[in-house]
Amino acid sequence: MLTRRDHLRKTLAHEGGGRLPMDFGSTAVTGVHASCVEQLREHYGLENRLVKICEPYQMLGEVEEDLAEVMGIDTVGVVPLNTLFGFPNENYKEFQTPWGQTVLVSEHFNTQVKPNGDVYIYPEGDMSVPPSGQMPSNGFFFDTIVRQPEIDEDNLDPEDNLEEFGLISEEDLEHYRVELDRLEGTDRAIVATLGGMAFGDIALVPAPFLKHPKGIRDIAEWYMSTAARQEYIHDVFSKQCDYALKNLEKLNEVLGERIDVVFLCGTDFGTQTSTFCSPQTFSELWAPYYRQVNDWIHRNTGWKTFKHSCGAVETFMEHFIDVGFDIINPVQCSASGMEPRQLKEKYGERLVFWGGGIDTQKTMPFGTPEEVREQVLERCEIFSRDGGFVFDSIHNLQALSPVENMVAMIDAVKEFNGEN
Amino acid sequence: MPLDLQQLHDAVITGDNKVSHSITEQALEEGIDPLSLVNEYMMPAMDEVGRRFETNEYYVPELLLSARAMKASLGLIRPLLTACDVEPLGRVISGTVKGDLHDIGKNLVGSMLEGGGFEVFDLGTDVAPEQFVEAAKEHKAHIIALSALLTTTMPSMKLTVEAFIEDGTRDQVKIFIGGAPVTQEFADEIGADGYSKNAVDAVAQAKQWMAASA
Repeated sequence: MLTRRDHLRKTLAHEGGGRLPMDFGSTAVTGVHASCVEQLREHYGLENRLVKICEPYQMLGEVEEDLAEVMGIDTVGVVPLNTLFGFPNENYKEFQTPWGQTVLVSEHFNTQVKPNGDVYIYPEGDMSVPPSGQMPSNGFFFDTIVRQPEIDEDNLDPEDNLEEFGLISEEDLEHYRVELDRLEGTDRAIVATLGGMAFGDIALVPAPFLKHPKGIRDIAEWYMSTAARQEYIHDVFSKQCDYALKNLEKLNEVLGERIDVVFLCGTDFGTQTSTFCSPQTFSELWAPYYRQVNDWIHRNTGWKTFKHSCGAVETFMEHFIDVGFDIINPVQCSASGMEPRQLKEKYGERLVFWGGGIDTQKTMPFGTPEEVREQVLERCEIFSRDGGFVFDSIHNLQALSPVENMVAMIDAVKEFNGEN
Repeated sequence: MPLDLQQLHDAVITGDNKVSHSITEQALEEGIDPLSLVNEYMMPAMDEVGRRFETNEYYVPELLLSARAMKASLGLIRPLLTACDVEPLGRVISGTVKGDLHDIGKNLVGSMLEGGGFEVFDLGTDVAPEQFVEAAKEHKAHIIALSALLTTTMPSMKLTVEAFIEDGTRDQVKIFIGGAPVTQEFADEIGADGYSKNAVDAVAQAKQWMAASA
C-alpha cells in the first residue's frame, strides 16, 4: 500500500491516477492561522489544548498530528531554527492575542501592548532595542516595522544587506538533525524550508529578525533599488548565492533522502494585476542565482525545489521553469492571467502546482460552504490531471475563515479522493 | 547653467529626484511660475508615467521612483501655491483603513493623484472611520480614497462609508476603494462610489468625478 509520501512523490513526478495529496502546515506559506487551528480542533472534537504558534510573524498555528490525521494532510515540515523574529520556538508560555485567543508562544516572544491595544514584538526577544513588528489592536498578525537607517548614496555597502547571510552553523544543522529524528517513522512527506536562499524576499528585506538592520531595509526603497541600484542588488545576491551553495553541501549531508521538497524562496513577483518587474529584469537580476541554486540541488540531490510567488505571475512561469524550479506556490488564481485551465495546459507538464485549491481572497472568507465545495472540486479536477498538483489553499488559511468553509474544503478534497 | 525645463519633465519620467529637485529650485529662483511647472511639465510627465505603467513598460519600482522625483519637486512648489491660494483640481483624503498597516499602494495612488493636480491629505495607515470623516470636514475634501490589503480589514471600508452616512456628510464626498482583495462588487456592496484597480485608474476616476461636478 502506498504511503502518503509515495502519493506525493507520484504527483511530483507528474504521474496521474494516484490519491491527490494535501498540504497544510508544512511551510510558512501553506499554513493555518492560529484562530483557524483552534476552530478546526474544536470542530473535529480533538483534545482541547492551546494552539502553539509555530510562525509568529503571521501567527500561524501548529497543525499537530491529531489534526493532520483528521484533515488528511500528507506533508509535514521542518523549518530553520530561528523564526522570522530571530528567536527559536522553545519553552512555550501563554499569550493572549488581540482577538481574544490564548495561545502558546516561544519564551522569546516578548511583546509590549500599547494603550490602544497595538502589540509590538522585538527581534530576538530583546526589549532593549526598538521593536521590529507591530500588530494592530484589531489585527491578526504582525507587520514589519521598517527600521531604515539614513542612506548615504555614495557609500552604500552591500555587506550591510548581507548581515543575515553566512555559513550555516553547527547549531542550525543539529536543529535539522533533531527535527528529522523527531519525524522518524512518519509516513508523510517531509518539506524542508531552507534559510538563506530567498533572494530579495520583501518579507525578509526589512529584517525583523535583526536588532539593528543596516543597508537598504525600507520596502519601497528596496523595490526602487531593483530598478535603480541593480549593481548593488547583484553584489548582495551574488554573495548570498555563494553562501547558499556552500550551505547546501552541509544541509544535504543532514537532510539527504529523508526529505522530498525544499522550500527555497518566497520572493513575490506578482501583484494582483501585474508583476513587480519585467520578465527581462527577472532574467537579469534573479535568474542567474536561482539557476545556480536549482542546478546544485538537482545535480546532487533528489529534492524538488519549491518557489513561492503571490500574484499575477503567469508571464514569469516559463522563467521559473527555465531557472529550474519544480514547484510553484500558491498559484493565485484570483490574480490577472492566472486562469487554472490555461495554467495547467501551458505549464502543467513542467511545473507542479502546490496551491490553487481555494480562493482565500473571496470564496473562503466570504462564500458559502457549497461555493467552497464547488470551487475545490473544480480546481482538483483541473490541476490534478496527470499529477503535478498538491492541494493547498491559495496561501495560508487566513483569520476569519468560517470554520464551515474550511471543513467544506477538507470534505471536498476527501470527496475528490473518494474518501467520504 | 541655462535652465532647461524639459529636464524637469524627463527627470520625473526617469525617476531622478536629484535632478527634479535642482531644476525646480533653479526655476523658482529664476521666477518661473510654479503653477506652470506643475501644469506644463510635471503633470504631463506623470501622465506619461501612467501610460508606461498601463503598457507594462513601467512597474511598481519605476512608479515609486517617478513619484519620489515628483515629490522632490512638489515639495518646493506646494508652499508657493498655497501662499497664492491656487486651488487644486480637487482635495483628496487618503488612508489605509483600520487594522491595516500596508501603505505602498496608498502612497502610489496619492503620488499619482498629486501628479494629476490633486491635493492629497494622507492620513497614513490604521485609520479609524471617524478620522476620515473629521479630515474630510477639516480639509473640505471632495474625494475619500480608502486602501485595504487584507480580507480581514475590508470590513473597515464598510464601516468608514457608514461613518460618513452617520455624520450626515456622505453626499458631500465621493468615496473610492482599492487594494488587492478589493473588487467592484465589494465597492457596490458597501455603497462606495467607485473602485480603482491601480494608481493610474484612480487618477482617471478622480478626474472624471471632478469634471462631472464642475
